[in-house]
Amino acid sequence: MATVTLNQAEKTYPNGYKAIHGIDLAIKDGEFTVLVGPSGCGKSTLLRMIAGLESISAGEISIDDKVVNKVAPADRDIAMVFQNYALYPHMNNFDNMAYGLRNRGYSKTDIESKVREAARILQLEDHLERKPRQLSGGQRQRVAMGRAIVRQPKVFLFDEPLSNLDAKLRVDMRLEIKNLQQRLGITSVYVTHDQVEAMTLADRLIVMNGGVAEQIGTPIDIYEKPATKFVAGFIGSPAMNFLTAKVSDDCKHVIVGDGVMLDIDHDVAGGQAVTAGIRPEHLSLANNGDGHINAVVRMVESLGAETLVYLDFGSGADNVTLRLQGTHQFAKNDALSLTVQADKIHLFDIETGKRI
Amino acid sequence: MYQSKWRIFTNHTILILGALFMIMPVWIAFASSTHTREFIFQNGLQFWPGGHMIENYGAILFDPAATKGRVTALEMLFNSMVLGLGFAIGKVIISMMAAYAIVYFRFKLAVPLFWVIFSTLLLPLEVRIVPSYEVVANLGLLNSYTGLILPLIASATGTFFFRQFYRSVPDELLEAARLDGAGPVRFFIDILVPLSVTMIAAIFIIMFVVGWNQYLWPLLMTTDDQLYTIVIGIKQVYNSLYEGGQIPQFPKAFALTIMATIPPVLVVVIFQRMFIKGLVETEK
Repeated sequence: MATVTLNQAEKTYPNGYKAIHGIDLAIKDGEFTVLVGPSGCGKSTLLRMIAGLESISAGEISIDDKVVNKVAPADRDIAMVFQNYALYPHMNNFDNMAYGLRNRGYSKTDIESKVREAARILQLEDHLERKPRQLSGGQRQRVAMGRAIVRQPKVFLFDEPLSNLDAKLRVDMRLEIKNLQQRLGITSVYVTHDQVEAMTLADRLIVMNGGVAEQIGTPIDIYEKPATKFVAGFIGSPAMNFLTAKVSDDCKHVIVGDGVMLDIDHDVAGGQAVTAGIRPEHLSLANNGDGHINAVVRMVESLGAETLVYLDFGSGADNVTLRLQGTHQFAKNDALSLTVQADKIHLFDIETGKRI
Repeated sequence: MYQSKWRIFTNHTILILGALFMIMPVWIAFASSTHTREFIFQNGLQFWPGGHMIENYGAILFDPAATKGRVTALEMLFNSMVLGLGFAIGKVIISMMAAYAIVYFRFKLAVPLFWVIFSTLLLPLEVRIVPSYEVVANLGLLNSYTGLILPLIASATGTFFFRQFYRSVPDELLEAARLDGAGPVRFFIDILVPLSVTMIAAIFIIMFVVGWNQYLWPLLMTTDDQLYTIVIGIKQVYNSLYEGGQIPQFPKAFALTIMATIPPVLVVVIFQRMFIKGLVETEK
């Protein structure tokens, strides 16, 4: 149905603050793209630029190869779902969904059938006559989505749509959104700060930091080969362990902590100072003494299906998180021995943070 | 909160005394308006109603002679109604639109202009009454409803209240409306106005009562009896009390006073329900 292309898109506010630094992006037809990043990284601004709610300071944004820099939001053929739903409080849910259609001059029968159809898809048929305030958070969210889908726009934009919902509902709605998007096949851009949402929803993930796209790729690509230390730390929960390390002279090992040698198979110069990153799930318990890393338990979080162990490592300067399947009993100050596979170690340049 | 019986008793005593204190003069005015003028002249103010209510009120409502002018109380009530409604509706519309412009349109002078409007609070009608009169006179609007209402409908208070209200409306509503293809006028009519119903009711009540009670401006503006408002009418009737050798028309003056207070009371009572309903079912 539609592609969205960003060509060196930039946003500079009148006070001189540069929120977006030249982003290039090509979103394919029907693709679910997720913008993820910490607050203030510019992800919402970028979304609002696509929507036309923020002007574009430099560069170009095109929808279906048509540059829309100067096109009004209503004429871009997009629909947006807001974090706080932004439903019109004085209108009932039917009118909330129908409002955009009425303004576009659809006939009464057309509006009726489109709204009923959207309500059917979203299971809102029984609530059309009610006002938004009479609905629960999840239902309001559905009305907001209904308002977006009745128009059958070229592009869906979602601005943290689930962050006002409670945890359980969030998971349900997440699945529903994914399902809906796949069924309708509409190109979507979704903004979130929740990396679980990002990983599960995205066909393609864009990790943003400080107004720059740090990495663009499939969620698994980004998980397996994070391009920078920032991305490595942001994607994955619990976050990746970072250890200051030095590459051994034979280039076959990195030395972490108090002289612990870890095997690596990276193409890297000997003697270089690097940051070694190891995901908590890639550390495993070894029989006592056989492991590479010897560390002391500081705290244990049992989640049932898995156990998170926080450890002090070496002389105590480094902390390591370990993620184990199932339940385990550890006491504070237990000594554990851990192993790690060479291909699960990520190395990052200590200066630039870039992946080596 | 726990309240002892003694406390409930004192609270109610104070409230009842306060209410009586407020209502008593009105009651005495009403009771006195139902006697003949001779009776009042001989016996002073009355606490109990007499038997001439219909006669007195009928005369004042329908007989121009009773008010010593060429206009009946009914006509004066109509004039007052036109002034009160025009004043209140005009103020609501003008201040809503002014606030809309100030809050939603980013133009450089928005903030200074708002403070200019706000500073006119320092210039009540009494201060600018001579120049205002001059302007209206030059426009040939003396003795007309337009001249009576138009110079009064700019409202800094109203603009301020609407501005504060609009600023509390979430920006996402505007953005959602923009995406839904609503232009500035549509957004105003379809979204902002329905959301402001409570505010409109509140400002309407206040402004209607203020407009109804206007005295100085109508007094200056209207030299034609036909345009007298009821507040001016009261003044005229009292004036005429001492003219001529007749017995003063106290009961009719009281009747006029009572009638002058009824419409504002009704407006407050009727709109207050809506106002409270609006407050309870908050729409935001």
